[in-house]
Amino acid sequence: MNLDEELRSALRREHPSPRFAERVVARAQASRAPKPAMPRFIWAVAIAAMLVIGFTSTYEYRQMKAERASRDAVIALRIASEKLNLARDKALRREN
Amino acid sequence: MLTQGIAAAMPRTKSEAMTDDPERFEELVREHQAMVFSMACRYLRNRALAEEIAQDVFLQLYRKLPALESPEHVLHWLRWVTAHRLIDHSRQEKRRPQSPLDDAPEPAASTSNTDPLLSEMLRDLVAALPENARVVMILRYQEDLDPMDIARALDMPIATVKSHLQRSLALLRDKLSREKGVGL
Repeated sequence: MNLDEELRSALRREHPSPRFAERVVARAQASRAPKPAMPRFIWAVAIAAMLVIGFTSTYEYRQMKAERASRDAVIALRIASEKLNLARDKALRREN
Repeated sequence: MLTQGIAAAMPRTKSEAMTDDPERFEELVREHQAMVFSMACRYLRNRALAEEIAQDVFLQLYRKLPALESPEHVLHWLRWVTAHRLIDHSRQEKRRPQSPLDDAPEPAASTSNTDPLLSEMLRDLVAALPENARVVMILRYQEDLDPMDIARALDMPIATVKSHLQRSLALLRDKLSREKGVGL
């Protein structure tokens, strides 16, 4: 007796019960839950809101910076003008 | 023949489409069901449990399909997952009371003139081997894989595979000669 052959025969493949494949496919189909639409929608809204907030805050920040810069420029011009006036007055006094 | 069948069932690039096509997936299950179920059945000696585990393996395959690129990859993946699933299962079962051997009738005997009682005894003896040795024996004699392919399928050193085979065969010979007085 050949043990290898006996083992091959004893351990030969066999089939599962009928309709096994159908049952597997049914379970696979059942496990495929419909893709949730709400979370995607929520994600889109959240991203859009974040973008809007980001753009708005950037715009406001830039506007604030521009206003401050223009205020600084006006002050600088005022100071420069005052100094020029003082210098002109001094020059006029020396001439007189 | 087997891989040709799967090749026909699988798209050429990736198998993503198969998860959308139940008929193609069913065809794939049919191609491999005997292999997966028989591995589980020989390992566990319990047809109901074997079917349950085989179903779980195919459900796992269904989820994994988009990542598997060829019929050979599917075959290798199925062998690997089934083997490890069975080993994990029996390790978990060791902590619980042993389930009885299934009494369900075996399918019709093969045409070979083998002794059904001896076959039954061999199946019991194989099922009583340690986990890794059992899987190695099933892949060797059910799937007819050589030691190199078994080592590849189980991510195991080839020396370990050969050692499992030699030890298991020696054990089977010893038990058979003691219990039945069969000279092998």
